[in-house]
Amino acid sequence: MLQKSFKNPLVLSIILGLALFACKKESIDTEDENELITSVKLNFTTNGSTQTFAYSDPDGDGGKTPTVSTISLKPNTTYTMTIEILDESKTPVNNITNEVANEKDEHLFIYTPTPSSLLTYTYGDKDSRNFNVGLTGSVRTGAAGTGQLKVQLRHQPPVNGTPSKNGSTSPGSDDVNIDFNVTIQ
Amino acid sequence: MKKTLFLNIILLFLGTKVFAQTPKDCDCFIQGIVQDGVTKQPIVGAVVLIKELNKGVSTDAKGFYRIANICQGKYTVIGRIVGYEEKTYTINLEHGAEQNIKLSETELHLANIDIKAQKIENLTQNKTSLENAALDQTRGQSLGEALKQISGVTTLQTGSSIAKPVIHGMHSNRVLIMNNGVRQEGQQWGSEHAPEIDPFVAKKITVLKGAAGVRYGSDAIAGVIMLEPDALPDSTVLKGEINSVYFTNGRQTVNSGIIEGGFINSNSKKASKIPYAIGYRVQGTYKRGGDISTPNYRLANTGIEEVNYSLSANYKRKNWASDVFFSQFNTQIAVFSGSHIGNVSDLIEAIKRGSPLPIYTPETFTYNIGRPYQDVLHNLLKIKNTVKNRSGVLSLTLGRQYDFRKEIDILRGDKNLAQLFKLNTYTGELLFEHKPLLKVLSGSVGINSLYQENLTTGTLTEPRSSTVLIPNFQNFTSGVFIIERIVRKQWEIEGGFRYDFRHLNVYRIPRGEQNTINNQRNNQNFTGTVGVNFRPNARWNFLTNISTAWRAATVNELYSDGVHHGAASFERGNENLNPEKALNTSFTVNYVSQIFEAEFHLYNNFINNYIFLSPTGRPALTIRGAFPEFLYTQTKALFQGFDLTTTLQVIKKISLNSKLSYLKAQDLSHVQPLIQIPANRIENTLRFDHKKTTISLTNLYVAKQNRVPTRIIFTDIPNSEIVFNEYGGDFAPPPSAYTLWNAAISRQFAIKKTSSLNVSMTVSNLLNTTYRDYLNRFRYYADEIGRNIVFRAKYSF
Repeated sequence: MLQKSFKNPLVLSIILGLALFACKKESIDTEDENELITSVKLNFTTNGSTQTFAYSDPDGDGGKTPTVSTISLKPNTTYTMTIEILDESKTPVNNITNEVANEKDEHLFIYTPTPSSLLTYTYGDKDSRNFNVGLTGSVRTGAAGTGQLKVQLRHQPPVNGTPSKNGSTSPGSDDVNIDFNVTIQ
Repeated sequence: MKKTLFLNIILLFLGTKVFAQTPKDCDCFIQGIVQDGVTKQPIVGAVVLIKELNKGVSTDAKGFYRIANICQGKYTVIGRIVGYEEKTYTINLEHGAEQNIKLSETELHLANIDIKAQKIENLTQNKTSLENAALDQTRGQSLGEALKQISGVTTLQTGSSIAKPVIHGMHSNRVLIMNNGVRQEGQQWGSEHAPEIDPFVAKKITVLKGAAGVRYGSDAIAGVIMLEPDALPDSTVLKGEINSVYFTNGRQTVNSGIIEGGFINSNSKKASKIPYAIGYRVQGTYKRGGDISTPNYRLANTGIEEVNYSLSANYKRKNWASDVFFSQFNTQIAVFSGSHIGNVSDLIEAIKRGSPLPIYTPETFTYNIGRPYQDVLHNLLKIKNTVKNRSGVLSLTLGRQYDFRKEIDILRGDKNLAQLFKLNTYTGELLFEHKPLLKVLSGSVGINSLYQENLTTGTLTEPRSSTVLIPNFQNFTSGVFIIERIVRKQWEIEGGFRYDFRHLNVYRIPRGEQNTINNQRNNQNFTGTVGVNFRPNARWNFLTNISTAWRAATVNELYSDGVHHGAASFERGNENLNPEKALNTSFTVNYVSQIFEAEFHLYNNFINNYIFLSPTGRPALTIRGAFPEFLYTQTKALFQGFDLTTTLQVIKKISLNSKLSYLKAQDLSHVQPLIQIPANRIENTLRFDHKKTTISLTNLYVAKQNRVPTRIIFTDIPNSEIVFNEYGGDFAPPPSAYTLWNAAISRQFAIKKTSSLNVSMTVSNLLNTTYRDYLNRFRYYADEIGRNIVFRAKYSF
């Protein structure tokens, strides 16, 4: 009697236990992977000729040190400047510029030269609420000299349906925040 | 898992000779029998004490006791039995004007109370429980918030909706949570990952402070939190409970219900048929809250929605019992929109600003949960079988947990998924509690095992992405333990040891590489515990305990490599981390008298190879900007402190309860304080009880944490590379001290004989004080929650 009852629940447990353990092989296959930006390219065009300067960090955050080209421009010249944002770790390369262009209402590029006399940036595009975007614009260089150009992409998504973009830097967070060395000669 | 022995003390409250001319009748008495509910054996020498009168007696050879010549009034009866948990009951021996003298004695004053006391598994360590009225007062709150009632327990918070319990300054993987006898396995490593548990499942929540490695698992370095439901009923009466809670701040509603019942087949008809009993319970909770407000502004996207349920049933025969329990926890927690931080300059801007931008503090209230948010599912299935025979009790507990966590971020182009974590855990425990050997030595031996698989990318052995927070892994642990105790009349000596083995198998793609790497790690170790409990008389009780515990480095500590959003930090793991080992010494004194009750708990927790995240002061440059770098490293750490809880009966009906917690945590190797240690605090509650109404006023004072690190500990980093060094690697100094007032009023109504209604109103942060807490990750940019009026109703039938 005692023996029998001793066995019963244990057998039951083992059977139920096996039932618990029998499960299928799982996987996580996300179509939308964590977004990565590996490269930022600045294209300067004047008189039909285009120069491209890139910030490139192909292995993403950490790992190898990014390569940054020095922006080299002529003094007192007006350039048309466009920006490209890419994820070059994917094949084919994921062009994030298009995504930004589709969501102009929640993105803002900011170009900050140091010293400020280095160059002047003028926005060349607006979003649906007439705020600047900065995918395209013009750069007027100053006198010969050296300095830095900070390029920021502010992602300013709406908060519970209310747009947060208001033309200023403050809302949202940086998706890009890099510094290029600039030589004007 | 835990074997519970129910102890039934049957208390008979008999008031005799109620003379109408006597204004105060002092001829009442209390008597009863104390017996072990399982063996039905009377317990000899159990102490039954009336606190207010400091009258105590011991049970005789038949387990019988009687305390006579008691005046009418409200009393606290304490039952103390060596080897069992202390139980406190409040009884009313009051004669109302409506009571008829002609009624027979039994009709007038007979009351049966079953005291269900759990046999204590660990006798020499400090334990504090939340149950009954104290637990009712926390209903609707998260587990972490509820546990703040216990001195020595604080929370690590992300805003006001995500709270992790912190015991004596430690949290996450160092705090073991036993949910209904199964160790909770979720993504507990993350500081913004709250326990995936609905506190309504539990009727009792116990915190065991200090290293408790031997019984519950070697990694219980800081302590153990145990959530236990009531035992399933073994009567056919359908019973239940409905809890409704409304919080004005966030307009949060919480509704939870329980229904339980059973079937009994007694052997009255057929003698050959074995009697059996079946008990069942169905429980469910729905919670919904919107944006919460600080005293000066509302925080956008701070709502919560939770749907939880559990089902349990058992089948009992004479010598064996089977239990099945299933629970599901589902939550969506919005994360404050203003906490989405791009990089350290964003964070510094937010700190400078002082309060969030107007876009993140809208005027209009909403229940909507927008991005970013967390979506967590946790399932637990438990099957337990218990068999009794002549030599003891054998039980086998099997559990399966499935934890699916999604962290949905703000991404471009309505892209959906940010981080996914799927964790499957299988646990098993075989436990044998033997009957006393040589009449003095009782104890248990057991084996527990755990197997788990974590998936964050691709399939287990073929990860697809290198940008995940933690890699895919398999983890197998197994341990054997023995705990024995000798019980003498006033003394109790306990000792035990345990051996554990752990195998970790990690599949990952290192950053910037294409191929999967497989890392394997094995760790093994012994843990031990020894303790003494001395109870010289009914007033005093002394506990002292020395325990060890160890914990192997977890995958986040080993392999993190990337930006931690919200925290604006770049965290790097360290593959060479050794297991950390704790040596915990504690001493507890309890004193109970008519007007004064006190508990003093002193502890010293030394941890060798303590693993923590420490700032390097160096910026990690990414395309999104600079992030301060943090490395997982090890040191010798010492946690020393005490918790003091006192209750003073100032005058009749008015009592003062005080809780004081002091903690000093030091990094011994680098001779400076450890980071993120809760500040010292004192809480005082003045309570007025009249019949079934209670009014209380609470003052909480939390000091400023002055003990923070002052310098970077990595000596191999040249000073020229250190950029973030202003606050010892932190981004802002600790917030100032604060004082909060809370008030509460509650009343119980009896409806019919078997049902009752409890209603209460609590106001937390009564004065709408603006404050920030050092252990809230949002302290850099937002204030804490403002005044919150909470209405609670509990209907039991």
